Order: sequence, then C-alpha cells, then structure tokens
Amino acid sequence: MSLELILEPLRYEFFVRGLIGLSLIAVLCACVGTFVVLKGLSYIGDAMAHAVFPGIVASFIFKINYFVGGVAAAIITALSIGFVARRSGLKQDSAVGTVFVGMFALGVVLLSQTRTYSVDLAHLLVGEPLGISAGDIQTTLVLGSLALIALFALQKELVLVSFDETEARVIGLPVNALNTFTLILIALTVVLAIQVVGTILVVSFLVTSSSTARLLTTRVSAMMLWGSGIGVLCGVLGLYLSYFFGTPAGAMVVIVNTMVFVAVLLLRRTRSDPARV
Amino acid sequence: MPNPILPPDRFPADHSSPLVSVSDVRVTFGETVALTGASFHLCKGEFVAVIGPNGAGKSTLLRAMLGLVPFTGQIGFSSQLGAKPLQRISYVPQQQSLDWSFPVTVWDVVMMGRIRHIGWLRRAAPTDTAAVSDALERAGVSDLRRRPIAALSGGQRQRVLLARMLARDCDLIFLDEPFTGVDAKTQDSILQLLERERISGKAILMVTHDLESARAWCSHILLVNRTVIAAGSPALVYTPANIEKTFSSARLEP
Repeated sequence: MSLELILEPLRYEFFVRGLIGLSLIAVLCACVGTFVVLKGLSYIGDAMAHAVFPGIVASFIFKINYFVGGVAAAIITALSIGFVARRSGLKQDSAVGTVFVGMFALGVVLLSQTRTYSVDLAHLLVGEPLGISAGDIQTTLVLGSLALIALFALQKELVLVSFDETEARVIGLPVNALNTFTLILIALTVVLAIQVVGTILVVSFLVTSSSTARLLTTRVSAMMLWGSGIGVLCGVLGLYLSYFFGTPAGAMVVIVNTMVFVAVLLLRRTRSDPARV
Repeated sequence: MPNPILPPDRFPADHSSPLVSVSDVRVTFGETVALTGASFHLCKGEFVAVIGPNGAGKSTLLRAMLGLVPFTGQIGFSSQLGAKPLQRISYVPQQQSLDWSFPVTVWDVVMMGRIRHIGWLRRAAPTDTAAVSDALERAGVSDLRRRPIAALSGGQRQRVLLARMLARDCDLIFLDEPFTGVDAKTQDSILQLLERERISGKAILMVTHDLESARAWCSHILLVNRTVIAAGSPALVYTPANIEKTFSSARLEP
C-alpha cells in the first residue's frame, strides 16, 4: 500500500475522528475486556449491550446526550445483575438472559415510536465509527480516562477477586462491591463502544483483542498492553479497509479483530500455550 | 515416620487461652445438615489435623470458621487476634479450586498475600517485596518466581500457595487437603514447614486424609463426621472405636 493511499482518507475530518475514537475505545475495551475474559463475563457484556439500548433510545426521544441515558441504564443494569444474582434462585445466566433481553425488546418498541431519529438510531444497532463527532471524542476521552484510572487504581484487588474470590473474601476485601464496580466498568465501556460498533457487535469488540492477547501473554498487565496494541491496529486497519471497499466500518473492524484472533490461534506455538497445563 | 524437627510435646500448646473456641456449630445447606453440634478449641502452638471421610463436613468446618458459610452456634476469637480476627487467618485452599491457567506468575500469586499490608491504591513497598522473597525462599520455590503458574507441577502449585500463606504472616493457618497431587518428598517438606510455623507460635488447622502423617506430625487430631467425634492428642484419639465411628458410618445421623 503506497503512502498516498494511506494519506488520502486522512484528508477527511470524519475519518480522522473515526480513527481517534476507535483507538480510544479499543484501548478501553482491551483493558476492561481483560477482566471480562478472565472472569468469563462475556455474556454479561452482551446482556449489558441489550439492556442499555432502551436508555439510549429514551435519550433520543427526550433529546438529551445519549451517553447520559446509556450510562444511567448501564449503571441500573450493573446494580440489578448483582441484585438478581443474590435474590433469585436462578442461575445467573438465566436471570441475566431473561431480564436484559427483555429490556432490549423495550428499546425496540421505543425505537418504533421515533420517526425523526431512526437513521441515527440505526447506527446504534450496527455502529458507525465515521459518524463520531468531536463532542463524542471528548466524552469518550473523559469517561474512558476515568474508567481506566479507576481500573488501574484497583487492579491488584480486581486481579485477586478474578483469580481467587475465596481468598479475597478471607482477607476481608469487599468482594460484592468490587464485582459491582467491574460490572459498572463493563457497562460504561459498552455504552462508549456502541457508538463505533453498535449493540450487536459490541461484545466482539469488548473481548476479542483481550482474548488474542490472552493467547500471547502470561501476565495480566501484559494482556492489557498487548490487547490495546492489537485493538488499535485492528481498528485502524478495519477503518481503512471499510473506506476502500465501501463496507460498514464497525463490522469491518470486528472482522479484522476476529481474523487476527484466529491467525494467532493457529500460528502460535502450542507448546508454550499459557492457557494449557 | 519420625518427626525430624522436634516432637510436639517439647513445645506444649498454650491451653490457657484458646485463639478460637468453636461451640455447638451447625451448618445446613438447604435440607442437608453438613455439620451439627461441632465444638472444639484451637490454641497457640497447636497443629491440628481434621480427619474424616469425604463429605463429613471438614471443609465446611473450616469455611464456617472463616466466615465463608452461614452457621448457627458460636465461633469466638481471642482478643489477642485484635479487632478483625478473621483477617488473622491465612487460608490455603484445595489447589483444584483455583484456575491454574490464569495469567499470573508465581511472584504475582505470592504478592497477592500482601494486598492488605500494601493497602488500597498503593503499590508494593520494599517490605512487601522482601516478605515475598522470604516466603518464596521458605516454601522452596525461589527459583520459580518468574514462572507462569500454568507451568507448575502439582507439588510446585502447593508450595506456591504455602508461600502466599507465609507472605500473609497470620497467627492462624488453615489448610484444606494440602497433600492432594503432591509427592511424598514434597508432603514431607510441607509438614516440616508447617511444624516450623507451629514452633514459632502459630496455630494450624489442616484438613487431611492421611491418618499416618497426622499421627506423626500433628499435636492434635479432630475426628469429624457431621460433628466432632473426638478431639485430643493422636494417642488419645486414635482408638479403634473412634476410627470405626468416624469412617464406617459415613451416613451417621447426629
């Protein structure tokens, strides 16, 4: 690929904004996604993406910034997952599946009542990195930085809770609060990521680069670092490919991420497999 | 097996004030009674083996004492243990209960034992690094410190968990089946390590299946099958009647 081809789309501000937005979110997803992968919470990420949908639609109806509605719905969701898990006799996956896919249905019904904004809202289903505004980038930067600062501040406690929850309880850590905090971080990340990859693909974006990094590293911080690098590279590559082939950008990014994961899975030396004993 | 360090009776336990008093403890899971009427004392300088058949409630007893399962009855802690006595207990879980493919090194796991010493929002201080080094040394896994835990053998895993326990530096040590997946040589060195801890004034409670090593090494035996069947020195407790009562009636209705 010649330099001209690389530079050409950079003339467009929307493309540059897309690159910046995607990169920020890729880093956030890799760091939060590391804990999603290690704790086996992918299905919660998926549920979260569905559950915040009515919040986002409602924000459009009431003409407020959709981060506000999304984050509010996300926090309510995170707290209720903990509540449902503690109160119901149901296994957590059933409880989560029942309650939060129901919320998605509510979002779809709300969506059908809005006519003016339906085009924008369609983006929320599949995402549109090229539609990111300067304001979206600012919001992402502020909320994402806060999330990452909180994550790094509590990293050693969160790692212990993921690795050995019993030990965390024995030494007197507030395990339930730390788990709820993790859910809120996942929720926030999902809301921020929905703008670029949409509700349907957000889980892939949340966990794929961390999963790839999981195959290549043997320490949690290395997993976050490699996941961030892989996520940013895949984001940039996916956006360029979608520009040249005229394909949906969010989906393209997810495809590149998935292909890199599969390539790493097939190419790595299985003898040094960190995940196998 | 002779005790190569010193026989337990050379360091008599301090019975004047037990560190933990368990009294009439009952644990139920739904309709199932896991444990009932369990009572005993744990004193400084005691090395107690908890022995009984599978499903006898041995692990449940430990978990109740750790505050991990709800119970009725009383578990009292000595004021010597301070305001938060539960945090003076270091717990070594069954190694199968952990995910050994988790991406951490041996050093990382042992450093987890220092989390409360380090405190919230802080990084490890030189004292924590020194404590981890020392714990690795004492558990005999110094040379493995950079190794991912996925690359450890069963015996090495157990030593790493012991090192984490040592790094926590607690007054009470609870262990659940520390000899599972461990060869005879490692089992022996684990027992020596624990005996050194006992001599330094710790109280140890260890769930095990191994009656013979418990007789050779432990100061006290607790026979458990849904309740405490007998408690005392090995010579006192290991009677045919007690063993019979503990093991031949796995469905004992207390």
